[in-house]
Amino acid sequence: MSQTASADQTASAGTSTGVPAVATSGLRKAFGSRVALHDLTLRVEPGEVFGFLGPNGAGKTTAMKILLGLVRPSGGEALVLGRPPTEPAARRRIGYLPEHFRFQEWATGAELLGFHGRLSGMGAAELAGRIPELLDRVGLAGRGGERVRRYSKGMTQRLGLALAIIHRPDLVLLDEPTSALDPVGRREVRELVRELAADGVTVFLNSHLLTEVEAVCDRVAIVSQGRVLASGPLDDLAGAATQLRLLLDRADRDLLALLGRRGRVVGVEGTTVTLAVETLDVAPDLARLLVGAGYQLYGMVPVQRSLEDIFVDLVGEVQEG
Amino acid sequence: MNVLVVARWTVLEARRRRLLAAGVVLSVAFVALFALGYGLLYHDQQQAVLEAEALGSGALSAREELLAVSTLLLVLGLYGVQFLGALLGLFLGVASVSPEIDSGALHAVLARPLSRVEYLLGRFLALAGLVAAYVLLMSGALLLTARVVAGFTPGDARRVVGLMLLEVLILLAVSLLGSTVLPTLANGVVMLALFGVAWLGGILGFVATIPPGNELLANIGTAAGLLLPADAVWRGASYHVLPPSFLAATALAGEVDGPPFIATAPMAPAMLAWALAYPAACLGVAVAAFRRRDL
Repeated sequence: MSQTASADQTASAGTSTGVPAVATSGLRKAFGSRVALHDLTLRVEPGEVFGFLGPNGAGKTTAMKILLGLVRPSGGEALVLGRPPTEPAARRRIGYLPEHFRFQEWATGAELLGFHGRLSGMGAAELAGRIPELLDRVGLAGRGGERVRRYSKGMTQRLGLALAIIHRPDLVLLDEPTSALDPVGRREVRELVRELAADGVTVFLNSHLLTEVEAVCDRVAIVSQGRVLASGPLDDLAGAATQLRLLLDRADRDLLALLGRRGRVVGVEGTTVTLAVETLDVAPDLARLLVGAGYQLYGMVPVQRSLEDIFVDLVGEVQEG
Repeated sequence: MNVLVVARWTVLEARRRRLLAAGVVLSVAFVALFALGYGLLYHDQQQAVLEAEALGSGALSAREELLAVSTLLLVLGLYGVQFLGALLGLFLGVASVSPEIDSGALHAVLARPLSRVEYLLGRFLALAGLVAAYVLLMSGALLLTARVVAGFTPGDARRVVGLMLLEVLILLAVSLLGSTVLPTLANGVVMLALFGVAWLGGILGFVATIPPGNELLANIGTAAGLLLPADAVWRGASYHVLPPSFLAATALAGEVDGPPFIATAPMAPAMLAWALAYPAACLGVAVAAFRRRDL
C-alpha cells in the first residue's frame, strides 16, 4: 500500500478531548437463553490500537456490533466517541469492517465507496478525488470499475478496508481484518493499521490471530465466553507471566517448598523446574538462596511467554472450568 | 438526504440486476399482445354484431353488445396488469430488506450515520416508484389501446389508475414489512398465501351477492379484504372501468353481477379508507419492528 496517503488523515483525531474512544460498562447481551456477553467493561483511549482477542464465539463480534448500534445490549452501557452508538450522528466519525465483509455484489468497488461516502456526509466533488486515492492505498488501483462479484476474497477485504476509512474516521472498528488475506496482504493490513495509528486514529481490532494482535496493538483484552479474562498493555500482560527455568541437581520436596515462597511452580521435569515469578528482578536473590540451601544450580533461564501462551492458558482454564 | 441516497442506490440495484430491462421488454410484449388481441376480437365482434343487427336479433342492441365486449376485454387486460403489478410489488417487497440482512451487506450500511427509518423509507420510495411507473405505463397503454381501437372511454380513468396504484403500494408495503421481520423465503410464502386469501375473499364476496345472497360468505369476504385489501382495491378500480352506459345496459338486462373478478358497485367508503391507511400502517409497523431488530 502506498505510504503517501496517510498525511490526509485529520490531525484532530480526538486526542485532545479526553473523551474515551470506546467506553462500556457492564455490557450484557443475551440472545434468548444464550448469553453472548456477560459483563463487558472496557475503555479504549483515543489514538490507541486496541486488540480484542478471543476464540471464535467469544462474543467479540457481538460487542463490536453493539458499539455500532447494530445490536442492542440487554444491559449495561456503551459509548463511542462519547455518545451512544444507537444515535446515527454518533457513527459519523466511525469506520467499520464487518467480519464477513459482504457487500452488494452487483455494484462496482467505486460505486460502493461512493455510496458509503455519501451516507457519511461526503460530497460528490470530495469523493471524486478520495475514491481513486483510496483504491490505490489498499492495492486496488485500476480495479474500481469492476463489479464486486468478480473480486477475489482478498480484493473484497481490501475494498472493505477502504470502505472503513473512506470518510477519514476518528475510530475504526475492524472485525477480523486479515482473515481472508495471504501473508503479504496481512502485512499490508498491519502497515495500514500502523499508518492509521500514526495519524491519531483509534483502532479497535477483533481477532483470534495472536500474531496480528501482537504485531500492531498497544493494549489488548482477552475475552472468552463473553467475559474479559485479562486486559492491559501488551508488555504488562506478557511480563506479568514471566517464568524462570531452573536446571538443578535434584528437585525434592524441600526445593519445591522453597521455590513456592518465591513464585509459583508451574512445571517439574526431572530436575528442571519452571517457576512463574512476578518479575525477573527476583533472579539473583533466588540464585543465592538456592546455592545457600545446598543445591547445584546449572542454569537459570528467563522464559518470556508469548501472548499465545497466555491466551491458551486463560482460555483453557475457562473452558475446563 | 440519506433517504434519497438510499433510494438512488436502490434504483441502481434494480438496473444492475436487469430488473428494469426485463420489466420493459416483458411490458412491451404484454401491451403488444393485448393490442393485437383487442383489435382482432373487437373487429370480429363488430362484424358479428353488425350481421346480427341486420337480422334484427339479440336482447341488447348491437352497440350495447359491442360496448360490453370492449369493456370486458379491457377489464380482462387490466386484470392482467394488476396481477403482474401485484406480483412485482410482492417480489420487490420480499427482496427489499431480508436478503441484505442475510448476505451481511446491510451491516456496513447501517453502521453509517443512517437511521433505520431513513433506510426503510429510501428502499420503499425507490421500489414504490418502480412499481408505480410499471402500473402507470401498463394501464395507460391499455386504456389508450381501447380508446384508439374501440373509441372506448372508461367510467373514470383516473380512479382506475389511482386505485391500481394503491393496490400495488399496499402489496409492496406489506411485503416490505414482512421483509423486516421474516427470512426471505418464509416471507415469500406468507405473502403469496396472504395474496391468495385476499383473492379468494374477493371471489367469496362475489358469490355471496348471487341471489338469494349469503351473509356469512359476505362477511368472510370482507374479513379477507380487511386482512389484505389488495383484491378489494382492484375490484374498486374495475368498477371505474365500466362506462355508465354499460352499467345502465347490464342493469336493464338484469346482468348486475358481471364476471367474478370485477365489481359492478363502487368500493365501500370504509374499505377505501382502510386501504388508503394500510400502506402507511405497514410502514409504521415495519419501522417499529426494524428499529429494535438485532442485526
